[in-house]
Amino acid sequence: MSQETWAEERPPEDFYRILGPEGELQRDVPELADDELLGLYRTFVATRVLEEKMLNMQRSGEVSLVAQTLGEEATPLGGAAALQPDDWMFYTYRQTPALLHWDQSMAEIIASATGHEPETIAEQLEMGDSPMNFSPDYTPIGVNVTNAVGSAMADAFNDRETVTMVFTGDGSTSEGSFHDGMNFAGVFDVPAVIVCQNNQWAISEPSQRQTASETIAQKANAYGVPSERVDGNDIFAVYEKAREAVERARTGGGATFIECVTYRMGAHNTSDNPDRYRDDSEQRDYWKDRDPVDRFETYLRSEGILDDETDKAIHDEIDERVADAVEQVRSMSNSEPDRMFDHILHGESWHQRHQREELQRELNGKNPFIDFTGEGFDE
Amino acid sequence: MSSIQDRVADVNTDNTEEMNLVSAVNRTLHQELARDSSIRVLGYDIGPLGGVYRATEGLLDEFGNKRVIDTPLSENGIVGTAAGMAMRGERPVPEIEFMGFFYPAFGQFMYAVAKMYKRTGGEIEMPMTIRMPYGGGVKALEYHQESTESYFVHTPGVRVVCPSTPSQTKGLLAASIRSDDPVIFLEPKKIYRGMTEPVPTDEYTLSLNEARIVREGSDVTLLTWGAMVRHAKSAVADVDADVEIIDLCSLSPLDVESILESVSKTGRCVILHEARRTLGLGAELSALINEYALDALKAPIKRATGYDVHFPGHDIEDDYLPDDDRARYAIEAVMSYEF
Repeated sequence: MSQETWAEERPPEDFYRILGPEGELQRDVPELADDELLGLYRTFVATRVLEEKMLNMQRSGEVSLVAQTLGEEATPLGGAAALQPDDWMFYTYRQTPALLHWDQSMAEIIASATGHEPETIAEQLEMGDSPMNFSPDYTPIGVNVTNAVGSAMADAFNDRETVTMVFTGDGSTSEGSFHDGMNFAGVFDVPAVIVCQNNQWAISEPSQRQTASETIAQKANAYGVPSERVDGNDIFAVYEKAREAVERARTGGGATFIECVTYRMGAHNTSDNPDRYRDDSEQRDYWKDRDPVDRFETYLRSEGILDDETDKAIHDEIDERVADAVEQVRSMSNSEPDRMFDHILHGESWHQRHQREELQRELNGKNPFIDFTGEGFDE
Repeated sequence: MSSIQDRVADVNTDNTEEMNLVSAVNRTLHQELARDSSIRVLGYDIGPLGGVYRATEGLLDEFGNKRVIDTPLSENGIVGTAAGMAMRGERPVPEIEFMGFFYPAFGQFMYAVAKMYKRTGGEIEMPMTIRMPYGGGVKALEYHQESTESYFVHTPGVRVVCPSTPSQTKGLLAASIRSDDPVIFLEPKKIYRGMTEPVPTDEYTLSLNEARIVREGSDVTLLTWGAMVRHAKSAVADVDADVEIIDLCSLSPLDVESILESVSKTGRCVILHEARRTLGLGAELSALINEYALDALKAPIKRATGYDVHFPGHDIEDDYLPDDDRARYAIEAVMSYEF
């Protein structure tokens, strides 16, 4: 292990903020009814409980890899809450609250981490009935920005009022696809909202190693796309700026780029060990004091919207839902190996038929190499 | 496997127009854009200029800038946004100006275009046809001359199609655009204007899964495609052998049955392609025949191809590219071999 670690730098905090670190108001809150506020809180809780459970499943070997949203929940949740049914969302791997907000089933989220083929998941699980259109998640970063802009171009060309929102990270902003997508978004003036969830770490690369730009938001200037820079741990700030951007997109005003400044509290994912490259816990303590969920809970309690009884009821309900989802996934059978040949191309080619048969023979303990004429396996 | 005449037999051939290959591309794009409003052509230089090869000439005036989209100069942007459109039910037809410019788009190609259908268990289809002129022999710069179809053929989830005549171009391009799979459509630019023939003016499609017999024969099977087909035809005029020429048309998936059937009949095989030899498509064809038709072989398979080098400069590009002679030598070699 290297002796060298990265000294962390605190990003400038001259961003848009409504709810301060102590849960105090610095501006007027967006208009949201009490049940909507409690709904957001419920999603915060659901995300933490679900991801903690998945982390445990990873430790016991049931799940191969898990990435946690811990400490960043306000960004995906505030963004997602600004969308309307039938809109499109392109996400990566730290947007669990956005999925849960729009009723993606917990079992589906867990099953996607257990490595089942998508066809198996669709057949064996009761799939969530979300009014939101989700793209599949992306692991190669930046790719989704370009695809999301293409999705928004399709809406623009068809004069539809649908909006596409894409979540990406600070690391993505160094990738070509980010710049290609932003450039197209500007040139074609598309109904897209591009959200950078800047948690300041791309695995082990800290933000000062990622870019020499003072802020990520200013990158949008190069593409003629208006931008906002907000406190990503403030659900109200993210929601308000996202809502404005969604509205502008829906009414023909074009794309907006939003940098949400937040902080990755934990590891990149369960295969990562941040002790190797992070220097100390000072920053984490600083950001822990700015935790988005604590902040929001303090506000809700001070307004009399949340009390101990309601909080307990929410936790009990979430615990039960998560336990049910885990049970559903545990009862799923593994994918048939044959599944790997599904959905490659429409129709079936000679190679596909042949290789399917070879695999079947291998599974049956037979020699797959005995076809010397290309005509099949009649022995 | 059938001849092109058989395959367009159900098309009205009373009305034909003399066309070259690039005008067949242009005519097909016109007809398809008019037929289906979800089709959009996008790329740079494709608007007012009409494409550097004029393949998109007149399209902007006829269909407007929402259907014929002049984009920024960005292959990754073109393919990536086209992928996003395809995910939303559109049928984009992106143009890559030259095959040698495709590499910046490889990420989008691998991550999104080829994979989305599988990743979503069939939920999201990617109906898009990426057109690109390929191949050498036009005295262009090195990145304008490449023939790297193997990269695409090695990728599951995408079709690779390559025509060699104007009437085939029209039928195969229309079929590609109408296919629910992503298609890489390779246009042999060396022969864009090299030949004309009467092409049916009505719409028609050709199967994306079938090879074409260019010429029947009994001594040697010559497997080839694209711009090399003309060399195959010239070569066989001068050899003392009855050569069966097969134009593969579909490089992925391959029409394996037709290939094995022909080699089983002739017992000899020559592969003619302009791509580099090592791990070029010829390597796969040779391996396939070795695995499934060895008993029929009367001689080793020979590959008449380009060399494993970067595409050379103008003065020696003809020495790199296979031609009638190289094809003929390969045929003579397999005819002369005795076990």
